Amino acid sequence: MKQLTKNSLRDRLNLAFFLFPTMLFVIIFIAFPVIFSGYLSLTEFNYASDPAPQFIGLKGYIDMVKSDIFFHTALYNQMRFAVAYFLIAFAVSLVLAIFVNELQRGVQVFQVIFYMPMIVPMSLVGITFAWILSPDLGIFNHMLRLLGLGHITHDWYGEPSTALNSLVLARTWKMIGFTLIIFLAGLQGISKSLKESARVDGANFFQEIVFIVLPNLKPYMLIGGIWILINSLKVFVLPQVITQGGPGSATLTLYLYSWKLAFERLEMGEASQVAYLTAFIILFFTWILNLIFKPETAQKG
Amino acid sequence: MKMVRRREKILFIFVVVFAILFLFPIVWMFITSIRTTQDLYKYPPTLIPHALTFENFVYIFTEMGGFVRYVVNSLVVTISTVLIVLVSSAMGGYAFGMRKFRGQNIMFTMVVGVLTIPYIMYLIPIFLMEYEVGLQNTWLGLIFPYVALNLPWGLLIMRGAFSTIPLDIRDAAIIDGCTEIQMWRKILVPINRPALAATTIITFVFAWQEYMFASTLMTKNEWQTLPVGIVWLRDELQTLVMGRVGAMVIVTILPVLILFFIFRDFFIEGLSEGMLKG
Repeated sequence: MKQLTKNSLRDRLNLAFFLFPTMLFVIIFIAFPVIFSGYLSLTEFNYASDPAPQFIGLKGYIDMVKSDIFFHTALYNQMRFAVAYFLIAFAVSLVLAIFVNELQRGVQVFQVIFYMPMIVPMSLVGITFAWILSPDLGIFNHMLRLLGLGHITHDWYGEPSTALNSLVLARTWKMIGFTLIIFLAGLQGISKSLKESARVDGANFFQEIVFIVLPNLKPYMLIGGIWILINSLKVFVLPQVITQGGPGSATLTLYLYSWKLAFERLEMGEASQVAYLTAFIILFFTWILNLIFKPETAQKG
Repeated sequence: MKMVRRREKILFIFVVVFAILFLFPIVWMFITSIRTTQDLYKYPPTLIPHALTFENFVYIFTEMGGFVRYVVNSLVVTISTVLIVLVSSAMGGYAFGMRKFRGQNIMFTMVVGVLTIPYIMYLIPIFLMEYEVGLQNTWLGLIFPYVALNLPWGLLIMRGAFSTIPLDIRDAAIIDGCTEIQMWRKILVPINRPALAATTIITFVFAWQEYMFASTLMTKNEWQTLPVGIVWLRDELQTLVMGRVGAMVIVTILPVLILFFIFRDFFIEGLSEGMLKG
């Protein structure tokens, strides 16, 4: 260590060599874009007709929040999506984790099965679910008809009332493995003797879960829950691939609205405003997540 | 005890039912891909295929130049991204993990802080940049942003790995007459193979799956990667039957699925580290 720092010029050149690729990519493709889109969000800039961005300050943001109907719709859809996704993903992964953890064997096999969808590209998840849930040839509706439930068949992605929830279903399928593994890690940390002593005291399965398992799982539920929340706000691929934001604007999300403003209407200023507003919402939740994650990672290191 | 055993049976059945439901979409895509077109477009649809065929798989590789092109694009972009991220993060990880320099902590905090920024914020400026420079519809136009988005993750992992190596190893190598770069390449990097594997998996899975940047930056069909190109074909080609789409989906996920089964623990660990992405 000392030997290195003495040889000053060579040492500095070496350091610069090691840092060069990181700095190059981070500055050009991360730092500059963030600053540039921040600037764009303060301008009015149609890429097709304006020669250069026109600075308008915060006016764009104010107009967006106050009077852009599509922004309101996107925000509303996004929040509806987030609530539905949160409830389903949280409940299903928690219940599954508790059940899988109780099994004497096959825990690893089930872990793999539930994690597997995570390696399927989101756009292909979209294609797959659109096919399974398609109105006439889709196998899902066919099964419903076979079971005598023909009256609840739908054009799942084609009707405004079911489209958003059907997207929630597809995303839950892809993403649930991660929270399942968080919860399983937490469950494996709960000591067997604690549960056994409760059992000896005459607690049934349900009481055991409510009074022993859930209280001990709290920190993991918090981490998993906030992760689901953040994840539920970054919805782009599924509505883009399956519904294009439709029918009407029933599945228009914040990401998708920003994208449509930028690449269909070429309004780079407005698109950046939506992107920044979305980012603020997400960063707020990420910040909370980091506050909670920190003590845990400190222990690990 | 009997109670417990019965309870486990019930739980087991419940979990198995869920597991079957979870496997169903992938299995159904596979069944779709090995059906003949007539069998597939019969109404009402049937669960069990009546005639099996691998014609769809042959067709997408021999008759659809577009699909083969996507495979090539995906392979080139993914492999290049992984390699550049590995080298860059091993270099940066060493600098941040084993060297001391002024501003180190602030710089590292900034690089890691980048991890929390939602990707939608980069998309528009990178599109404009690439449009002006002419990087759109080139392999590099995708590789560069992919590297930038994955490098902070790689750096986080590699710094952690380098900082656990005792400094004695380094000093001994220097005394033996190695230059710093030789020592890094021949001694330190090989020690960190597990961390490099985790970085590889995170980056590989990202680049193989990515849709938003690829669909925005690669406006010409011949430059698109598998996740984008398959959707494009489904939407644009009126004559494309679902069996072929199914075959393309299977071909895209099968290699990753096989790797996933072989390196299961690496995958679950590696993927879990990068789960804030998006």
